[in-house]
Order: sequence, then C-alpha cells, then structure tokens
Amino acid sequence: MTTISTEHYKNKAKEAIKDDVLQSALAGLQNRLGPATAAMYKNLPEGDELRYKAHEVRMFALDNLDMLLEQLAQKIRQRGGNVFFARDQKEAVNYCLEITRRRKAKLAVKGKSMVSEEIGLNDALIKDGVKAVETDLGEYIVQLAGEHPSHIIAPAIHKTRNQIGSLFEEKLGISYTNDPPTLTKAARKHLRDAFLTADIGFSGCNLACAETGHITTLSNEGNIRLATTLPKVHVAIMGMERIVASLEDHDALFRLLSRGAAAQNLAGYVSYIGGPALDSEIDGPEEFHLVILDNGRSKILADEEFKEILCCIRCAACLNVCPVYGKIGGHSYGCTYTGPIGAVLTPLMTDIGQSKDLFQGESLCGACQDNCPVNINLPRMLLALRAKTAEGDPRWNIKPSSPVEKFIFSIWSKLISNRKAYDFFFRLARFGQKILPTKNGEIRKLPPPFSGWTLDRDMQQIASKSFIQKWKETQK
Amino acid sequence: MIEENLNNQDRFLKTVKEAIKASPGGYRKNREELFSRLSQSTIDSRLKKIQNRTRADQLKLLDLLMEQAEPINLRVMPVKNLQSASESIKELILDKNPEWGTVKKVAAWKHPLIDKLSLGDALAKYDIPVYQSELKSTDDLPAGKQMIREQIFESFVGITAADFCIAQTASLVMKSHPNQARAVSLVPSIHVAVIELNQIIENLGEFYFLQKWDPIQKKEGLTNCMTLISGPSKTGDIELIMVHGAHGPCELHLFVITGET
Repeated sequence: MTTISTEHYKNKAKEAIKDDVLQSALAGLQNRLGPATAAMYKNLPEGDELRYKAHEVRMFALDNLDMLLEQLAQKIRQRGGNVFFARDQKEAVNYCLEITRRRKAKLAVKGKSMVSEEIGLNDALIKDGVKAVETDLGEYIVQLAGEHPSHIIAPAIHKTRNQIGSLFEEKLGISYTNDPPTLTKAARKHLRDAFLTADIGFSGCNLACAETGHITTLSNEGNIRLATTLPKVHVAIMGMERIVASLEDHDALFRLLSRGAAAQNLAGYVSYIGGPALDSEIDGPEEFHLVILDNGRSKILADEEFKEILCCIRCAACLNVCPVYGKIGGHSYGCTYTGPIGAVLTPLMTDIGQSKDLFQGESLCGACQDNCPVNINLPRMLLALRAKTAEGDPRWNIKPSSPVEKFIFSIWSKLISNRKAYDFFFRLARFGQKILPTKNGEIRKLPPPFSGWTLDRDMQQIASKSFIQKWKETQK
Repeated sequence: MIEENLNNQDRFLKTVKEAIKASPGGYRKNREELFSRLSQSTIDSRLKKIQNRTRADQLKLLDLLMEQAEPINLRVMPVKNLQSASESIKELILDKNPEWGTVKKVAAWKHPLIDKLSLGDALAKYDIPVYQSELKSTDDLPAGKQMIREQIFESFVGITAADFCIAQTASLVMKSHPNQARAVSLVPSIHVAVIELNQIIENLGEFYFLQKWDPIQKKEGLTNCMTLISGPSKTGDIELIMVHGAHGPCELHLFVITGET
C-alpha cells in the first residue's frame, strides 16, 4: 500500500473530514481508547518511571542489535528452526514464496502483522496461487472489503457495525445484522475451517527475547495462536529492531504495550516461540521459519537523529490521541504505518520528500509522546524532518525546498533582525491588510504566494497597535 | 540453503554493526555483559521468599487472582480437593451445550493432576467420551497425532493443567510438553484448567525471575512454545465493543485446588 503523494493526502483528508460515519468511528477511538490508555499508565505502581525505563531498555537493544540478533538466530537454529535475514521486502517475500512452493501450500492463515503489510505479502501469495486469509477480525473485515487496515491494532476502526453487517451479508451470505457478537460469531464460524485446514501459518513478532532465543506474539482473539499451532509450517516475520536483550525486559514492555494498545493489564494471549514442535509433541508446527527484515531500518539506525523511532513497539497509542489522525483517519496517510508514528517512520523508510505532507500535517501538540509507552520523542523528530526538507540532506536524498521559499525566509530573517525595518514592515502591512477580504475581523484570503495558508483557515488581522506601543502608552 | 542463509546473516549483521558505529549511543556492551545478572545472594533470598510462602500468603494470592480475573471474564473457582474439582467439572460439562453440532465430547491432557480427576469414569455413564492426548510409543506417530488432533477438534470442552498461574495479570502459563497438546486449550469452545494453590505466583516480574534463576525452571527453559493465557478469547474490532469468543475459547474456567480438609 503505497499511494503517498500530496494529492492523495489532501484529497483523502478532505473526504475523511466530510465523512460523518468515519468521524463518529474516529471519535469513539479518541474519546474512549485514548483516555483509557492514559489512565492505565497513571495506575502503574511505577508511574511514568516505567515508560522512561522502557525507553532505556529499547535504546539498549538498538545499541547492541547485531549481537542480540545473532544470539536469537543461533538459539532458534539450535532448536531446529530456520532463520533468514532479509535485506529488503523482495528478499523476504521470495523466501516466503520458496517455502509455500516447496510445501505446495494452497491455503495460508495469517495472524495480524504490520510487517507483512509492509512487504506486501498477501498480494505476493495470492499472485503465486496461495489463498492468504487474514484471521484477525478487523483484518478479516478489511480484507473482505478489499481495503487496507487504517489503524495498527484496530484495522477496521473506520467501519461501522452497519457497514460490517452489509459486508457480511454480501460476502458471507448471512442475513443482515449489526449486532457485534453475532457478526463476530459469523466470522468465527467462517474462519474455523480455514484454521483447521491451512497448510501454513504466517505471523509477525511483537518483541523477541535474545537471551532465551524466542519470538513473541500477542493477541486477544487467539487467532495468532491458532495460526501458529495448527498448520504444519509457521513462518514469523519480524522487523529487525523488535527485540530486547533480557527476559525480564518483557515485564515492563508487555505491561506497557498491553496498556498502550488496548488499556489492558496484559494481552489475552502471549506466546513465546523458539522453534518447531518436538517430535514427541502432539501438535505445533513441524517447521518453523523466522524472517528478520531490514528494509530501510539500518539506515535509520545509522542516523543519530532518528534512531529513536526504532524503539517503537507498534501499540498505536499515539494514533488514539493524535488530533490529526483523529480527524483524517488512517487511509489519508496512504501507507502502512499511519498516525504520528507513521508520519516519522514512513518518510524515513520510503522517501522524505515524497511523503513530506505526513509530518508537515501533524500538529506538534505532543500528545503522542505523552501517550507513548516507551516515551519516544515524536514531536522532536517531526520537527527534524521538517528541517531536513527545508535545508536538504544528501544522505536522505532531499534537495532544499523551493528557492522562492528560501528567498522569502532570507528576507524575513533580515527583517526581524532590524528593529526599524521590522516596525516599518508592520506599519505597511497594517495598512495593506485593509484591502484584503475579511469576515468576523479575520482575513479570509491572502494574496499569492501566501494564499495556501488561508486555503482552509482564516487568519487573524495584525492588531492596530503592537504590544510595545501599548506598553509605552501605559507607561506615560 | 543453510550456507547461503549464513552468508546472508553475516552481510546483514555487518550492516547493522556499521549502522550502530555511525550513531553511537551510550549503551554498547561487550558480548558477555549483554544480559542482566544478579548476585547469588540476591537470587537466593528472592527464591527463598517465593518458595517459603505460607498457606495464608498463597490464599492472599488467590484473592488477588480472583480480583484480577473478574474483569477479564476468567472464572476462578476455588475447590477443596480433587474430588470436588472433578464433581464441579462434571457438572459444568453436563450443563453446557456444544457450540458446533450436538454430540458432547471432551479432550484432556495426559497430566498427573488431570488423571487424578478420573473424569473418564465420571462421564462414562453419560456417554461423554474424554479423549486423553497421549502418544503411545508403539503408535505410528503421524497417524497417532492426526487422530488426537481430530478428537480435539470434535471436543467442546478442553481440560488442561498449567505450569504457573500469575495472580496480578490473571494469567495461566503453559509450556509445551509431550502429551499435552497445545490445541486442547485453544480449539474447544470451553477451556477448563486445573491448578493447585501453590502454583500461584504474584506477578510477571516474579515469573520471569523464576524462569531465569530457579534451577528447575532454568533447566527446563521456556520450551519451544510457552503461552500465557489471560482470560477467554475476545475482540473489540467492531466499534471497540468487547465480544468474547473471537477465535479461541468463549469461556475459561479455572479450578484452584486449595487442599482444605
């Protein structure tokens, strides 16, 4: 899913804001889940300290990532599992296809995994003749509708129960209902056969543990457990940064992740998977593969300014409190990772210039950092990305912004460093603004090249007297 | 293919190492200092504290477990002994109806605690079979596995024990062991678990500590697949409305044998 462009962002955002159904769905998320997660942090015995500690644990993992990944791979191989290091999405997808071809797999069940969205696994499997069924209820709904997830953990949040009712009526042939338990049961029934007969199960990885050599999967529905227990082959795909060093690091991180993602103490199912099932076991996969994916992450890791973004554990807490995401929804971003995290991660993983609207569109209000379980300074990085687009950076292949903009800012910088010129300019502007159209005392339209600023908002007029003038008058 | 994968790995990890060098943080360690360590005296004293809990302490943990279990729909039933556990489970099985089809069948782990419940005998007169997941060494392994798999798929109740129960998060811990099919706690509509009072520990931190430092746990390791189960399967994917029984069990009943006389 890569439709990132200024056009797409602006058009989709406009549509989203006018879409009453979407607005009420997003309001539910922002009014309920967002505040609930914030309240859960406050109830932690360690308070905010735990978030700072978790941040340190994640930074520690990044600074030692090569050794941790090596240990993870070694331990999993010792237990008879296979580990493949994929530099990019093509290598990862090809490895997955090699397995499905060798096993002559016809049906694959998938646990929810953003990284599989990132590499476009579903399309590749389907093109190769493998039916790939999403099993997370939200992902299943989105797949039935032929769409993409709009939220990291609540993929179908943009859909109402009525829409889902109609969708199930059409696609599953059940009689229309908008009752969530009945709809859930219909999906349960439909997917049960898939679980029992699938040839291969795909999952992501929440946070591996290097010390013991296990990946972990978290879910509430039990779909990931089913997808990784019943089929004969399990393939897990993990972004290379999703690992911590020591086992007890999971204590803080899973408590925080479950709170951030769903305002829970702990996800319903947490599984540690370290290899295929033993011969003496009755069930569990006989073949286990772990695909560790770079796909642009090492480039981010090498950049002091941005490596912090790799601390992210994909809980989506930042989406639930972001005023921008809360209005424009996930699809406006046009990419896999949306909201504040996506606004930083996507440009770094794709093309900063092409996706500049994502970070320029965010409001810098800071709610994302306050709600982040690992306290990532997202506002700082949003600003840093803006600076990069202004000044250019060959490492990230960005040219400086337009010469006109640069010229205007150079004049502005001269203007504000000279008191007399500054005062003169404002006297002129105060006079000049009288010819501009106004409503309720606010300017409706600025002349070019500033017209973009008043496209969707009015602008305050310059006051008739400046603060300094007024101050001087009171002193007389 | 294995050799090729190792080449891939070397190239990949070299890139990662260079990236770390390019943006040095403050946490880089030597290989032998990567994982957290504790002094032997700290380990001993904490282990002692956990192992020397009195019955009153364990009952307090049971209270905590019950308090935490309620909001996540995990039904905890303290029972005095094996016999009353067996009786209650029998009642439950008789009371509930299968979700798929009409025939009542039950799947259970082959496990010392579960064996002692003698559920097969208790349910025989109601014509409800209790399938034990046990691979006999004389069996043709793939065929034996397939048969047990099908029995579990047909069962509406699955009965398991657990390795631990964590009070603070109301979690059952199950490591993978022979004869304890993973699907028993997963595929049947109702999951029934049975534990003893002294299997309850306080919180996740304590659990991880035991896995890392208790000699018995350390030797066993986390196994190839360890699962923490906190409540029945659930979803909020339709308008954030909580629904139980998404794909896994719709109900989870936990019987705690308190050993009261």
